[in-house]
Amino acid sequence: MKKSLLSATIALAIGAVSAQTSAQSLIFKPNEDSRFNWASYEALKSTDLSGETVTVFGPWLGDEKASFESVIAYFEEATGAKVNYAGSDSFEQQIVIDTQAGSAPNISIFPQPGLAADLASKNLLTPLDNKTGDWVKENYAAGQSWVDLATFKNKQNEENLYGVFYRADLKSLVWYSPENFADADYEIPETMEELKELTQEIVADGGTPWCIGLGSGAATGWPATDWVEDLLLRTQSPSVYDQWVSNEIKFNDPRVVEAIEDFGWFIRNDDHVDGGSRAVAATDFRDSPKGLFASPPKCYMHRQASFIPAFFPEDTVLGLDADFFYFPSYESKGLGNPVLGGGTMLSITKDSKGARAFMDFIRTPIAHEIWMAQKSFLTAHKGVNIDLYSSESAKKQGEILRYSTTFRFDGSDLMPGKIGAGSFWTGMVDYAGGKDAKTVATEIQNNWDTLK
Amino acid sequence: MVSSANTRSPLTFVVHLTVLFLVVMWTIPTAGLFISSIRDKDQLSVSGWWTALSASEQRLVTRIEIPKDQTMENGVYVIRGNVFTQAGDSSVQQFGYSSLKPQAFEAGTKAQMKRGKTLIVQANGDYVITSPKAFKGRGQRVFYTAEVPPRFTLDNYREVLTSEGLGKSFINSLTVTIPATIIPILMAAFAAYALAWMKFPGRALMVAAVVGLLVVPLQMSLIPLLRSYNVIGEFLGTGSKTYVGIWLAHTAFGLPLAIYLLRNYIAGLPREIIESARVDGASEFDIFRKIILPLSFPALASFSIFQFLWVWNDLLIAMVFLGNNEEQLVLTGRLRELLGSRGGNWEILTASAFITIIVPLCVFIGLQRFLVRGLLSGSVK
Amino acid sequence: MGQLISALFVMSIGVLGCAVYFYGSNLLLDFCFPTKNRPHLVIARNLRITNTIRPWLFIGPALLALGFYLIFPVFDSLRLSFLDRTGENFIGFDNYRWLFSSAEFFESFKNNMLWLIVVPTAATFLGLVIATMTDRIWWGNIAKSLIFMPMAISFIGASVIWKFIYDFRSGDDAQIGLLNAIVVFFGGEPQAWITMPFWNNFFLMAILIWIQTGFAMVILSAALRGISEETIEAAVLDGANGVQIFFRIMVPQIWGTIAVVWTTITILVLKVFDIVLAMTNGQWNTQVLANQMFDWMFRGGGDSGRGAVIAIIIMVLVIPIMVWNIRRANAEMEGR
Repeated sequence: MKKSLLSATIALAIGAVSAQTSAQSLIFKPNEDSRFNWASYEALKSTDLSGETVTVFGPWLGDEKASFESVIAYFEEATGAKVNYAGSDSFEQQIVIDTQAGSAPNISIFPQPGLAADLASKNLLTPLDNKTGDWVKENYAAGQSWVDLATFKNKQNEENLYGVFYRADLKSLVWYSPENFADADYEIPETMEELKELTQEIVADGGTPWCIGLGSGAATGWPATDWVEDLLLRTQSPSVYDQWVSNEIKFNDPRVVEAIEDFGWFIRNDDHVDGGSRAVAATDFRDSPKGLFASPPKCYMHRQASFIPAFFPEDTVLGLDADFFYFPSYESKGLGNPVLGGGTMLSITKDSKGARAFMDFIRTPIAHEIWMAQKSFLTAHKGVNIDLYSSESAKKQGEILRYSTTFRFDGSDLMPGKIGAGSFWTGMVDYAGGKDAKTVATEIQNNWDTLK
Repeated sequence: MVSSANTRSPLTFVVHLTVLFLVVMWTIPTAGLFISSIRDKDQLSVSGWWTALSASEQRLVTRIEIPKDQTMENGVYVIRGNVFTQAGDSSVQQFGYSSLKPQAFEAGTKAQMKRGKTLIVQANGDYVITSPKAFKGRGQRVFYTAEVPPRFTLDNYREVLTSEGLGKSFINSLTVTIPATIIPILMAAFAAYALAWMKFPGRALMVAAVVGLLVVPLQMSLIPLLRSYNVIGEFLGTGSKTYVGIWLAHTAFGLPLAIYLLRNYIAGLPREIIESARVDGASEFDIFRKIILPLSFPALASFSIFQFLWVWNDLLIAMVFLGNNEEQLVLTGRLRELLGSRGGNWEILTASAFITIIVPLCVFIGLQRFLVRGLLSGSVK
Repeated sequence: MGQLISALFVMSIGVLGCAVYFYGSNLLLDFCFPTKNRPHLVIARNLRITNTIRPWLFIGPALLALGFYLIFPVFDSLRLSFLDRTGENFIGFDNYRWLFSSAEFFESFKNNMLWLIVVPTAATFLGLVIATMTDRIWWGNIAKSLIFMPMAISFIGASVIWKFIYDFRSGDDAQIGLLNAIVVFFGGEPQAWITMPFWNNFFLMAILIWIQTGFAMVILSAALRGISEETIEAAVLDGANGVQIFFRIMVPQIWGTIAVVWTTITILVLKVFDIVLAMTNGQWNTQVLANQMFDWMFRGGGDSGRGAVIAIIIMVLVIPIMVWNIRRANAEMEGR
């Protein structure tokens, strides 16, 4: 009696959950704009997934969520499947809870390969077939590196490919308002030396050069890790960077500490940042670029990845109201022009026919093009039509990414989650708060040691 | 009595003042939240809520759009328009054309710009820009400082209830809270009666256990329970995140307090009533149903308010046992998400926070009497 | 609307299921072993049987729930604390060794101790003072209701409210956070309060004090009313002043209640999690044990072993309170 009641209740509880919102309409009508790769959309229709539900869980919220859902709509329309996307700001914690509880979504969108590697080592991810790996190698710019980034060991110590990168970020960018630069008669710096001079020039003119915000809810501190990585790539060779990421070079190595202190040059000087250095850690990273557009401007420059325009004031036109320049390298070091990037990776956390089909969909050009044509999306997929980038600046970034020579993936995302999404963040917040670089780095290294 | 009141009056005056001060301290945070949540979002982000009734000064930028057909007047090209997009009684104080000097000119004066261009912005927002040559390229930016009258709006609530998914979370919270309040009351009432009036081996030990369990930190239970839920969920094929799962979790975590409170209350009922009912041949179930339940209504009510508040306000258990997806997220979880994703959007945060606290506040204010009585039965002897 | 209806349906089935169990099982018992209209011997036997079984019917569900949700996890956590991060391989005392060599742990332990000292003390003291004062004025009940009100607000809601108070705007912008506005009004420099190491702990504690003072006040106020008028009048006749009466006569009389309030708040503080999670997530040296445990369990892949060790520590901290609680309850029962 009780048991049947219980199961009836469970069935209902689940029924209540699957009561759904209706599918949204397609934002670009198929076969209308010939710049899109509609053939890849039509090909999808051969897969029939009626009645199948695919759950997707990722970190995207707000505008990004809306854009991704507009992409999903094409998959739903073509295959008849139902896709539920859920976004969470605490994705890093929630996915661990969910996978361990056995209630994982079909597909998870990892902003950090390090976290995915961790789950793979517990056999919580489903490996993809070899074909996928070969395909990525062929169709992505710097394909091998994207494959390597998504290849992890499982519990049995076997290496497999676990994910496909869907959206890339370019981190080495400095955003500014061209008109404010023109008003004040500033020029775009081409070397790090010039950038530092410009910083001092702006201070001398009574302005504030930088807006920097490290706040990000539970992930507070991550924007600083990008700074340090970018500066490490500009002061040391790429191999030092690689060894640092794999901890062959210790975190408190003088070369790393030097990069942290270089970051300190920008933020530990009250004149250099809006609000003074103590405001840095307290300011939300989503709020901080708004200073560029304030009247009078609160700052002139903002170093942040390519996704940041999503947080600019509503009617900002990229390329007109706001533009970016490459975060330059030291002329004196002769290290070329390295590029730091990142990306989100889709993995199967619960296998199903629908999940497999969705992973196939993610490889089609149309899945990339739909988002490209909206905003804040870059891809290393070579099969897409670059003309679809929504703005000149996006196109420019797409090109930087596509033709980069020294490309390095965001190091904090590759480190073990407890470091790259924990101690490193906290350490940078402490450093911004006035702690000594060497002490902070040693603390991070100590934490890393306890993980071994 | 009268005379003693007179002698005390200076002291009483101080007491009045102190209590008034404390009351203000305790209510101001919530009041600030509420006032902020009904303010216009542009004002909310530039001025404190305590200035809500006075006009606020905002520094704004607008861009002059260049029309397709440019008109000439007196040999110069002219564009006219108004800087305000929203009609109202806002007024421009100063304006400027360069980001370096956004307040260079008083409203109504003429600004001489480069290449013979001029710009005038009137106090009511009307502007005229002239140029000897046709305008081309980008429209001129106009910086202006405006005095904006106070504006109150329910838009913030409309937005969070529709686009931020708060409405759905509200229902989810109810779905979690109501059964998770009623089920433990039923369980605890029966158990409390047994512990208070029935004889069976191990009773004293069980009472001690319940008291001990009162303080077990529930964080302790998370990992083991999650693992068990996983196994059970797989066995039943339902997954581990169900409403039933969270009801039972809340039930169990609420039980020690519930049993403790109710046992204290039920044990304090007069022995004669129960004994005489027993002598009359009533079964224990009947005694419980017909005598104990009605008599212990105050304690039941007080515990249910407690449990309701606790479940409604819980974040941890919901985060672990119900999951974070769009369909199941409860209000507290939603608020936490918003804190992360809309960190700087105070209009969203304040309105959402107010929605999450309105139900417990109403319950609390309406049923405070019962709550206090229950609290006392558990603590004061 | 559809969601509302199905939610209602799910709820009523859940609640009904529970009611049906109690009603049904008792009816079944009475049906199998009737105690009416039968020979005396049968009735006596049946009565004996039902009297043995029924307590277990009554207490059974609660016992099962408590056992599964509270007692079993305590032992399982203990087991997990000796296993590695996946919860599969035995690693002896490694997790404990890690814990006691971890600076992170000592920081959160230190902060927790700070919380344990400050919050119960402040909330109880304020509660006592307010209770004493509100009892003397005609609008005392209204004042009490208002001060009691924050208790209804969730920790996370309270965090939003206080985040707004602590909000910090850089440069010359108008402050929209009340605290900074006051500081600026008196000519001070605005501060980013929650990032100031050490002191930020107190800003977080203020939130919990704000919530808990009402609780302390209500209970202490009732206890104060229980003090007999005669003792106070006697003290007045002896020439004692207000402060002396308060500390020498009133406080000792309600000492037992103060202890109860104190421990209740202490237990709550040990579990404090939501406030830290929402306000700082342990950054800027505000980490506390409960949040650290959550962090180890679920962040960056999770480590159930280390998470469990921290849980054990919290448990150990609670044990003295538990023992005291049981003793008190026993004494009470004997006194009845």
